[in-house]
Amino acid sequence: MRTEGLTRRFGGLCALDNVDLSLSEGEIVGLIGPNGAGKTTLINLLSGALAPSQGKIVYQGKDITRLKLHDVNLLGIARTFQIVRVFKKLTVMENVITGLVDRRRHGPWDLVIRSLKHSSAAEDKEVREGAQSLLDFVGIGKYRDELAENLPYAYTKRLEIARALATGPRLLLLDEPSSGLNPRELDDQIDIIRKINGNGTTVFIIEHVMKVIMGISHRLIVLHYGKKIAEGDAKDVYEDPQVVEAYLGEERNAGS
Amino acid sequence: MSASASRLKAVLGIVVLIAVPWIIRDRYFLHLLITAGIFVILTSSWNLLAGFAGLLNLGHAAFYGAGAYASALLAIRLGLTPWIGLICGGLVAGVFGFLLGIPSLRLSGPYLAITTIGFAEILRMVAMNWVSLTRGSLGLYGIPPLTAIRLGPGMRIDFYSERNVYYILLLLLFATIFCFRRLTRSEFGLTLKAMREDEIAAESIGADSNRYKLTVFTISAFFAGVAGAFFAHYQRLVSPETIGLGETFTILTMTVLGGLGTLTGPILGAVLLTFLSEGLRFLEDMVKIDVRMVIYGLLLIVTMLFMRNGVMGLLTRVTDSVLSRKKG
Repeated sequence: MRTEGLTRRFGGLCALDNVDLSLSEGEIVGLIGPNGAGKTTLINLLSGALAPSQGKIVYQGKDITRLKLHDVNLLGIARTFQIVRVFKKLTVMENVITGLVDRRRHGPWDLVIRSLKHSSAAEDKEVREGAQSLLDFVGIGKYRDELAENLPYAYTKRLEIARALATGPRLLLLDEPSSGLNPRELDDQIDIIRKINGNGTTVFIIEHVMKVIMGISHRLIVLHYGKKIAEGDAKDVYEDPQVVEAYLGEERNAGS
Repeated sequence: MSASASRLKAVLGIVVLIAVPWIIRDRYFLHLLITAGIFVILTSSWNLLAGFAGLLNLGHAAFYGAGAYASALLAIRLGLTPWIGLICGGLVAGVFGFLLGIPSLRLSGPYLAITTIGFAEILRMVAMNWVSLTRGSLGLYGIPPLTAIRLGPGMRIDFYSERNVYYILLLLLFATIFCFRRLTRSEFGLTLKAMREDEIAAESIGADSNRYKLTVFTISAFFAGVAGAFFAHYQRLVSPETIGLGETFTILTMTVLGGLGTLTGPILGAVLLTFLSEGLRFLEDMVKIDVRMVIYGLLLIVTMLFMRNGVMGLLTRVTDSVLSRKKG
């Protein structure tokens, strides 16, 4: 995936200003920046939740700039949300099954006709096994019959990841997957992200928690006031004077 | 409950339903059962929209009316047999459902609800004022009943008697409930519920919510239209009142009372309220005002305050606590 001159304005505010970036197959790329730097806006643009004001998004040689959220997903790009959006009144397993539906081949009318011909596909043994293995993958398999609203917060974050994985993505966009987690949960979350990447999925991750982002990213991109101010491996970025001033500097000063 | 036990219960229920006209020979009682049955189709189809997909449609009676008028007119003007009219009524309503689905792509919650009221009012006005076609507020009368089925010389089943109509309706009901059961448990139904919970999240996993909304509006309207057509050939009179807000309000009350978003709730609610409102007749004669609507309103308030999930929710809670007490 690559972007050219990606820009998004909200009224007079330029949330994202002329951002070029590229992601290669199989990497983990971290996106950092102070609050309000435009990180979530960037993920919203990449996933099709928002349309850019200017610029281009190309994925696997195809221009996907104007595609909507659901179409982008069907091309193999899945995402999670900063504020968790699980289907609360559905069970944990049902949450994952909604992601497992093969929407590339079946539209709504198709599903209606199929449901009249066969008994419930959602109760199909194979489908349930598929969902179970995804839940086990993120370590919440035993909660499959709970309503999603009853899960502890850390597990809803994992459920969201499992649901995104169910759609079979080649690229996964994670919007602050570790916000609000305690240190132990944090380590689990890092393991899960590593495992996902180990299976060949490209991961693009927004993160505030330095431990997470420094530990797992192959490459970092730094946003500040909507502009990309640095890019490179963790060490380079950490020592970049601009970054120190814009972002890390504040923390160092605050810490000392 | 084990699968065989619930199957046994289902078979028992069907046997009872088939036997009823032979046990209770009162024609008026049968008439009430038929009314309740028609309402079951209406509440179940409304529930698909409001309960499962979270689309608050307050113009449902318009679909019902569209089906009733369409089938009645086809029979009166073109001599089409009501059997085909049932399907045609459904299809015409389905088209209206699709059309009403279009604003739902941009509106949600109260805004959608208001739009659907407007839609139903427009249809009612057309029925009132296009006198050359619909005879205005007089309504359409002289609608033929379902055509008699000839089994052989001198052997025919006609549909002037309540009992035969009841059996046809029973078939229709089984078919309808079978469809809704399959639909709501399928990946389609699951996607509807997902959209109801969080539309953006549903889109993020590849569901085109616009197409799902149009589909569910069309399906729901189709079933309401079939119910309307059936009503037209049973009552043999259709008037613009059929399309009114009062009718939708009745459907809403029944569904919410029974249990929104469940399969059995709307069935329960439709049967309960049909018989309850008959029971209230004597009260109405006494005080000479429309108490029915007052009672409906009160029922709604009580349901919302004390049993958000309707009678079904209450039953589940009671059985759960009994079961857990047994275990404990």
